[in-house]
Amino acid sequence: MCATNSNKSSKQAVIAKDKIDNYIDKIPPSSSILKETLMLLNMGELTKAAKVAEGDLALKSYLKGIVNKPLYGFKKEVSDISQIFGILGVAASEQTVYNYMISLLSPDKWKLFHLNASSFNELQARLSRRWKEILEHLQIKDKDIESSIALLPASIIVAEALFCEKIEDVKLLRSVKEIDLNTILSRLCGIDLFDICEQIAIKWEMPTKIAQIVQASSGVKPSEDETNNTLAKWMHLLLFYELSQAMFVEAGLNDFIDFQIDYVYDIYDDFTQVMDIT
Amino acid sequence: MRATVRDSIAVFSPQGFLDGNNSESLLTIEDIKATSNLKVDMVLVSLKKVIFFNRNGLDAFVKMFAKVRASNNVTVGFCDYEKKKFDAIIKFYENNLHFSLFKSLEVASLFASSFKNQNKSVLLFSEDRSQRAAMAIELHDNGHNPIIAQSQSEFKQKSDTENAYDIIVTDTYLGQMGQKVATRVTGNAIIYTVSSFLDTNIANTFNIAYHTNSLNVGFRLFIFDAYKVVSMNIHALNFFSKLASSAAEYNATICFAGLTFEKTPIAFKETLEDAGIMFFDQMDDILKNKDLLNELGASSAAASKNKRALNKVIVTELPRFIDATVLTIEMMTNSKAAKEAAKINNITINDKENKIASSIGFYGDIDGMVILVFPKEIAKKACELLIGEQTDDIEQILDSLAELVNIVGGRVKTLLLDQDIQVDITLPRTYPSVDSLLEIAQDKKGVQVDLSFDNDKFLFFLTR
Repeated sequence: MCATNSNKSSKQAVIAKDKIDNYIDKIPPSSSILKETLMLLNMGELTKAAKVAEGDLALKSYLKGIVNKPLYGFKKEVSDISQIFGILGVAASEQTVYNYMISLLSPDKWKLFHLNASSFNELQARLSRRWKEILEHLQIKDKDIESSIALLPASIIVAEALFCEKIEDVKLLRSVKEIDLNTILSRLCGIDLFDICEQIAIKWEMPTKIAQIVQASSGVKPSEDETNNTLAKWMHLLLFYELSQAMFVEAGLNDFIDFQIDYVYDIYDDFTQVMDIT
Repeated sequence: MRATVRDSIAVFSPQGFLDGNNSESLLTIEDIKATSNLKVDMVLVSLKKVIFFNRNGLDAFVKMFAKVRASNNVTVGFCDYEKKKFDAIIKFYENNLHFSLFKSLEVASLFASSFKNQNKSVLLFSEDRSQRAAMAIELHDNGHNPIIAQSQSEFKQKSDTENAYDIIVTDTYLGQMGQKVATRVTGNAIIYTVSSFLDTNIANTFNIAYHTNSLNVGFRLFIFDAYKVVSMNIHALNFFSKLASSAAEYNATICFAGLTFEKTPIAFKETLEDAGIMFFDQMDDILKNKDLLNELGASSAAASKNKRALNKVIVTELPRFIDATVLTIEMMTNSKAAKEAAKINNITINDKENKIASSIGFYGDIDGMVILVFPKEIAKKACELLIGEQTDDIEQILDSLAELVNIVGGRVKTLLLDQDIQVDITLPRTYPSVDSLLEIAQDKKGVQVDLSFDNDKFLFFLTR
C-alpha cells in the first residue's frame, strides 16, 4: 500500500487496515497453472500459454464462455484455447486470465450489489471489450494499459467484501442520506474504490503509470501526465457507460461512484462515435 | 433510486446515460410510491450528471411526474441542464410539455412556495410571451421582484450588467401553461403555419377540434402562413374549401399569406377564392394594415352557431374554474377577491363603461368557454406587472389580459387533469368593449359569478 493511502486509513476507519490487506492479498494468482499461463502470456508465448491453460478446466470453460458471448460476434463456437488466445491477442488474453482470477474470488452470494457469477462476468467482458475498442481508437498498444481495466471489477469484489463487514451500517447510511457508496467506502475503510484498484495494481506488479491511470479515472484525482489523464477520462466515461446498463443499474453499481461529468466533456463526442451512440 | 429532499424539494439525481433500456431500472414502482408519500412542494429530476439522454430515457420520469402531480398536486419537472439539453427536451415533448423545466435547482427554488418572501431581484427571459408572464406572476407571488426582458437583445443588454440581479432565469419553462398550437397576434387573428406539400395528410395534422373551438370562442380571422408551402393537391384543396365553408357559418375569414402558385394549379386559387378564402403576398399586408385587420377580425353577432346548454359535469367543476381564475387575478393584482353572487342566466353586465373582456375555450372530455369581464383598472394593474410599467395603451392592456386569461386556462387545464379530465384550451380572445363581447355572447346561457376585487367589480361567466 502506498504511503498516502496508509495515512488516509488512519484513525477514523471503521474497518481495520489488516482486514483490507487480507482481502487484497487474496487477489494474486494462487494456482501454478495460472501463474505459468500468465508468465508465458507476458512473454508473448501464446501457443505455450494455451497448452498450459488446457490443464485448468475451469479456466478453459471461462475462456470459452467469454469469447463466445454475443459481444464478440463470432458466428461459430470457438472452443480451442490456442484459437481463443490467437483471437484475443497477447494483451487481451492476459487480461482475460486476470478476469478469470478475479472471478474466482467473487462471492457465492453477493449481499450489497445484486450481482451473480454471470452478471459479474458480463461486466468484466463488456468493460474489456469496450476498453480494447477505445485503445484501438486511441492507437495505444500497451498490454499493461489494456489489462488495467480488469482492476475495476476486481476492486468491486473487494469493496463488496468490505461492505459486507458492516452491511447494516452501509444500509443505514444509504437510507438516511443519498450518499454514494464510494464515499461510504472511504468513511468505513479510509480508502475508496480507486485506492483499492491502485493496491491491486501494485500486487500485480503493474507499472506505476497504471496506478496513476486508475486513480485519475475516479475523475477527482487527475494525473499530471497528460496521456495518463486522457486515458483516465476514457476509463471514467466507459465505466459510466457500462454502469448505466439496466442490469448494472439494478445491481446497484450505477451509484457506486460519483460521475464527474465535467471531467469527461472534452472526449464525449469522440466517445459517442467509438461506442456508436446515437 | 430515491429522491433526496431539501427545503421541500425532492430531487432525483440519475447519472450517466439515460435511455429506454435503463430508465425503468432507475425508477421502480416502489420508488414512485415513495415519492408520492413525500410532503414536498416540488419533485424534480436533476440532469446535472446525465451526459446522454433520449426521449425513451426521460419517459419513465415523465410518467412518474404525471402520477405524482395527480396525487400530490406539486410542481414536477427536470432541472440542472445546459441549453442543449433544454432544447432537446422541448423538441422531444413539443405539445405535451406538461411538466416544468428549471435551468438550475436555484432557479427552481425561486418557484417553490417554501422559499417565499426572499425578495430576490430576478431578471427573466423566455422567447414565449405566455411563459414570461407566467413566470413573472409566480415569482411575484413568491415575494420576488421579477424584471422581464421582452426580447433577446434586451435580455442580453440587461444580463451584461454586472451584479444588477440576484439571479437570472432563462431556459426555463413552467409546465402548467396551456398548449401552444398556434400563434395569436394583436387583432385577434390566429396564425397557422403550414409547409412543404399539402395533401390528404393535412386533414390529420390540422387540429380541427382546436379550430372549431376557436370559432366558438369568437375568433374570426385565421391566417395560414404558407411561405414554405411547395404545392397543394386536390385533397388539400377540398380540405381548405370545407374549412372555408364552415368558417362562413361564423362569418369568419380565412386567409393565406405567402402561398405561391408555381407548382400548384392557378385554378385552385380561383376555387378557394370562390369558397371565400383570401390571398395575400405578405403576412405584413394583413398584420400591418390595422383597418383591414379590424375589418377581417371583427366579430359578428350572426355568428354563434350552436347554442348548447351547460351540463352537470361542467357545473360540478365550476369551483375549480373559479379557483383558478381568482387565484391568478389575486396574484396579478395583489388584491383579495370576494364572491358576491352566482346565477344561471344569460350574461348580464350592468355597467358597461370602462370594461374590457376576454374569453378562452376548452375542449376534450368536457368543453365550454370561460368569459371574464374586467374593469379596465384591474386589467391595467395586471398589465403593469407583466410589462413592468404603467400604460394606457389599449392594445398592450388587451395583450396582457390575453396572457392572464391564458394562464387561467392553463391552471384550469392542470386542475382538471388532476381529476382525470383531459382538456385542451384555445388561445384567448380579447374584446376592447363590452359591446363587442355581447355580439358573441349575449345569447349564451351560462353560470355568472360576480366577484369583487377590493372595490372593483369583476365578472366570471362559464358557458358552452
